[in-house]
Amino acid sequence: MIYYVTSVALILIGMYAVLVKRNLVKIVIGLTIIDAGIHLLLIAIGYVEDATAPIFSMESLTANQMVDPVPQALVLTAIVIGLGVTAVALALVIRLYDHHKTLNINKIRKLKW
Amino acid sequence: MRKVFAIILLGIFGFYILSTILLLDFGKRSNNVGQHYLETTVQETGSVNSVTAIIVSYRGFDTLGEVTVLFLAATGLGGILYDKKGKKRKLQHASLIVRVTSQIIYPLIILLGVYVFVHGHLTPGGGFQGGAIIATGVLMMFMSYRTFETNHTILSWIESIAGLTFVTIGFTGLMLGHTFLENFLSLGTPNTLVSAGIIPIIYTAVGFKVGAELTALLDNMLKTIK
Amino acid sequence: MVINFTPVHYIAIPLLAAFLIPLIAKVSKNSVKFVPGIVLLYLSYVSFTLFPIAINNPIVEVIAGWQPPFGITLVYGPLAAFLVSMITLIGFIIWLYSFRFIIREPIEKYYMLFLLLITGATGIILTGDIFNLFVFLEITAIAAYSLTAFLRDKDGAEAAFKYLLIGSFASTFILLAIALLYAQTGTLNIADIASKIDNVEMPIRIIILILFTVGLGIEAELFPLNGWAPDAYSQAPSPIGAVFGGIVVKAAIYAFMRLIFVLFNFESVFYFLVIMGVITMIIAEMSAMQQNQIKRMLAFSSIGQMGLVIIAFGIGTEPSVQAALFQMFNHAIIKVLLFLAAGYLVFHSGSKSISSLDGLGRDKPITSFFFALGALAIIGLPPFSGFWSKLYILISVAKAELIAVVVLVLISSVIEAVYYLRVVSRLYFYDENKEANVRRTPATGLIAMGILAIVIVVVGLYPSAIMDVLKPAASELVNKAEYIRIALIK
Repeated sequence: MIYYVTSVALILIGMYAVLVKRNLVKIVIGLTIIDAGIHLLLIAIGYVEDATAPIFSMESLTANQMVDPVPQALVLTAIVIGLGVTAVALALVIRLYDHHKTLNINKIRKLKW
Repeated sequence: MRKVFAIILLGIFGFYILSTILLLDFGKRSNNVGQHYLETTVQETGSVNSVTAIIVSYRGFDTLGEVTVLFLAATGLGGILYDKKGKKRKLQHASLIVRVTSQIIYPLIILLGVYVFVHGHLTPGGGFQGGAIIATGVLMMFMSYRTFETNHTILSWIESIAGLTFVTIGFTGLMLGHTFLENFLSLGTPNTLVSAGIIPIIYTAVGFKVGAELTALLDNMLKTIK
Repeated sequence: MVINFTPVHYIAIPLLAAFLIPLIAKVSKNSVKFVPGIVLLYLSYVSFTLFPIAINNPIVEVIAGWQPPFGITLVYGPLAAFLVSMITLIGFIIWLYSFRFIIREPIEKYYMLFLLLITGATGIILTGDIFNLFVFLEITAIAAYSLTAFLRDKDGAEAAFKYLLIGSFASTFILLAIALLYAQTGTLNIADIASKIDNVEMPIRIIILILFTVGLGIEAELFPLNGWAPDAYSQAPSPIGAVFGGIVVKAAIYAFMRLIFVLFNFESVFYFLVIMGVITMIIAEMSAMQQNQIKRMLAFSSIGQMGLVIIAFGIGTEPSVQAALFQMFNHAIIKVLLFLAAGYLVFHSGSKSISSLDGLGRDKPITSFFFALGALAIIGLPPFSGFWSKLYILISVAKAELIAVVVLVLISSVIEAVYYLRVVSRLYFYDENKEANVRRTPATGLIAMGILAIVIVVVGLYPSAIMDVLKPAASELVNKAEYIRIALIK
């Protein structure tokens, strides 16, 4: 249970950072924290009490002693995707800093509704 | 003002999401797709690592998409930072202890990375993890030595050829009368290095690709420091 | 060894080409420009062969040899076939236009991102697995972020960053929804989830619906989640704006509608869709009227048209869904034509504002003619294709006895007429600006726009050619049981 609460807390902290912080880099870090939260949630969903990692390294292990492997596979993919987005975000931050010479998002808000 | 608004919004969102999630079971085994995979993975794919079997074989298409995402991100980053790259990195030379230690550890890290992705079907790990370890080793060398260079042409060749290997293996499955990405090699004995059909081959290709891509990405970003 | 055409070619061949592009670029930089064209031409041929088969016998292709729900499948039914064929052909036309339009380095990265953007959209439509949908959404999104900032100017980077932030929120919500769905139903195959969804308790189901609505609504430009769209459309290079409005948003709406029809087909959900569609349409059209930059105006108009499409989907009957799909098709063709024409008009006038387009009707007659044709078609004037789709939608809405909605659609059409005809009159009836830098439009651009214009006129004269094809597609979308039968028992 504590895992579910922690993951939601991480997601909320990350969203707070994205919505409120003014420094571009802190906003990108916020995105990373959101990702961490949701990955934790996925893995926690797959947990089975008293079970071990889904690898049949010894003959004696049976399927009923293992956790669910599907969320682990999903999270592997999601981590890589999160990395891709973070990379592009940081490239954009470098570009924006180059043009505006500041990392403060309020100064960069030119394009309005 | 904005902070208060954000906190209220997040509070409402958090409350609903948390109450929904707390309705879920925790720690209970349910009869889902994962259970089926656990029961059939060794006979059907020959790999003892169930997660690897899912990533490369059962849901191999997702992995293809993931490899594409990484490729896209590296390309997008290269495109956005196109004319900002200097010729050399302008970092400080690290201290003597760091420089000597990194020279000793660097080959070991590379070896660890290669071990992780070659044994992806036997131990926890696999292509992505191994590639990330390799890239971390290279990053360590970048930070220690101002003059450590990697050859971008070779990196780009490795990337492309590894990607092509993945798609070609897929097509080979298609052409041999099966479906795209289906296994066409023998499964071998489980728990040995040469087993699990095409899984080690694909994962090795992915390991090289990820290592090369992340290295190129890091190099691109480090070169933009003025 | 036999090579038949199967739906996986739509994804695997472009990926093969994209991995080859860096190698080709080392050999000869200029031949990279041909690669997307060749790929899209090949895929158009594949569409040509597979589409007639799929109308009567949907093709379900199993990937990696594992039967659903344990493996991933590509579901190539009549709806997917139609949308994917449309995307491939439109993609080819936009490539043709880009061939001479894009002159800013790095060119090979542009073509690679362009090809993968289209592939991502195709993947969203073809897949039968919900996590695979997420992966293809991310492929599309990352390609879109990179292409928005492609011109590397100040505003482009800002628009891309804004798009990235909002898009990441969308991904988070969608991934949350997928996590909850897996926890409750234990499977990731869309048809399998659909057959098990009734076992999920209502409160959880509603939260999942809300998460999907916000997540996919951001990509599909629903109000109030479309704040990123005007900036992204106007700062990206014009052909990319065309891809966004003609291809990407269609894939997002397809994903959203497929999930709604198959997982959440409640009366109240459809009512909600109609209301959201109306609000989106009205606010977007009114905002479009206030714009003085041409590409932002086109972006808002796009959002408004998507609102109209969502109204038609929301009515929920087979004829209304047929009309909605027809409107999607027409809007794709017309909006792409408008973006392409606007691209050259902006290029020659040197500025994005509408006032700088004065008098270009005389200097660039053909391009201005194409723009005017697109404008008339999108307002819904006969004998162009836009007239028929709007008419069919209005008929369906009237049959559902929502007269207020009919009135609102007509009012927004009048608003559309005002701001489009305003631009057309400036093109033709005003005096030209002195700074206009007029050169000949390249032949590739003219041919691309010409093909689209011909399609608009032909479909306007023979709308049943498209409407008949859409009948099985609409039936597949609306009938949940039919989709499950097609996708699972194969």
